[in-house]
Parts: sequence; C-alpha cells; structure tokens
Amino acid sequence: MKEATDLTTRREEMLERRQELPRIAPMVDIFENDDEILLHADMPGVAKENITVNVDNGRLEISGTRRLQTKGSSSWQEFGDVEYRRVFSVPQSIEVTKVNAELKEGVLKLHLPKAEAAKSRTIKISSV
Amino acid sequence: MWTRVNDIDRMFDAMDLFRSRLNRMFTDYSGAYGEDFGWRDMNGSPRTNLYDSGDTIQLIAEVPGLSKDDLNIRIQGNYLELSGTRNSDAPQGYKAHRVERDFTSFTRSFTLPADVNADKIEAVLHDGLLTLVLPKAEAAKPKQISIS
Repeated sequence: MKEATDLTTRREEMLERRQELPRIAPMVDIFENDDEILLHADMPGVAKENITVNVDNGRLEISGTRRLQTKGSSSWQEFGDVEYRRVFSVPQSIEVTKVNAELKEGVLKLHLPKAEAAKSRTIKISSV
Repeated sequence: MWTRVNDIDRMFDAMDLFRSRLNRMFTDYSGAYGEDFGWRDMNGSPRTNLYDSGDTIQLIAEVPGLSKDDLNIRIQGNYLELSGTRNSDAPQGYKAHRVERDFTSFTRSFTLPADVNADKIEAVLHDGLLTLVLPKAEAAKPKQISIS
C-alpha cells in the first residue's frame, strides 16, 4: 500500500507533467508626452512580486504570472493560471535607470522617461 | 467487406479534417491581439470562476482597474448580481499611441447552485481580482448521515 502511494505522489511530481502556463498578451494602452512614454497594462490577479519588467537595447519586455488560490471543485471556469507576457520596441533614448513601475488594482503602469537629449525643444529665434 | 472498411477509413479522414479545422480556429482566435476580449467575456462582463466546497461557494471575477467603489454586489437567495463601471485612466496632456483597454459599465447576474447566507458574505478586492466567499444557507449545506 505504501509503495502504491509513493508511486502516485512521484507521478504528480514528475517534471514532464508540469504544464507550462498559457501565455496571453495583456491589453495595453500607450501614451506619450514630451517627458515620458506611459504604458498601462491589464494584468488582473498578478501580484507585485510576480511581475518582471525588462528594458534592454530598445526592447521592453513585461511579464507577470498568476496562480489562482481556489477552494473546492470548479462549477465553471472562464479564466485560469496564466503568464501575461508582451514585448515592445522602445526608442533607445529611454532613460533605463529612471524607469518606474506601479501596480494598482491589477493594472501595471509603467513610466519610461525620455533622456534629456531626446526631448523636443523649442528653439528661440533671436532677432538681431 | 472491403468497401465497408473503406467507408470507415473515409469517415475517420473526415473527422481528422474537421478536428484540424477546429484546432486552427482556436489558435486563430487566441493568437490575435485585437480579437481577444481581455478581461471581459463576449457580452462585455468580467470573466468569472465559481467553486463549490460544500459549505461555501467561492466566486472570483477579473476586474482590473476597478476600485471597490466602482463595484456593486447585490444578492437575494441564490441570485447574485455584479455590476460596475470602469472609468478611464487615460492621463491628461498625453498623446495616445495605442488604446486596447476599454472602459465601460457592465452588469452580470448569476444563479448560484444554492441559497446563501447573505449576512456572512465576504468580498475581497485584491490586485484586480474580486473574490466572494458565500456561505451556503443552513438548509443547503451538505449533511452527514450517521448509520444506526
């Protein structure tokens, strides 16, 4: 009997059985003004510590995983565990060190400040 | 006899074709950004999961960007109504490059599998997920029957 339970538990732990999370691209809004690019992404159920934001060489990658805490047997299920992941191209002129992200009510808000050199300037014409 | 085997073969071929078409339909559907409904179902309401654990019912809904003041929950017997409004969070003075997220109001009603005790419902909003824990009414709870 002991052996039988061992066998079943081992089967559950088998690496091959571990399913990869389905990947979904989160819905995003992208805004821009003179100082920054602002990105809003819907990631319901993703905790702060499960989000990674990566800016590298003009490539912005956002990713967040959600694992639902549930109790009981499912009567219906319209969403599940998921990995939200999406990659964007961003201008090289983003100040990578000053990128700042906030997460509120399942919406990720990412501020990508433009480098000083990339900001548009109005040039005054001096009259002589 | 041969013709019969052939018929069966042909039937399986047709089924395979049908299955591959179905599979393709699903990948087409989930692959495109624009056609996905995001956190909402086809009717524009939040997607939900319902779990039954005997004494309680647990309902989870995806409501990203909604605060607790934006949500309204009404319950009567085994009828539950969830409504809410998602207000735009577009900042002022910015130029929009891409707008995929939508901001509307919704109402969705459910018939729960059992009557619930409306006074003891717990509702928690966390990271854009609304979790309702609904204790079943005393009469609807499962009972242990002892054998005499």
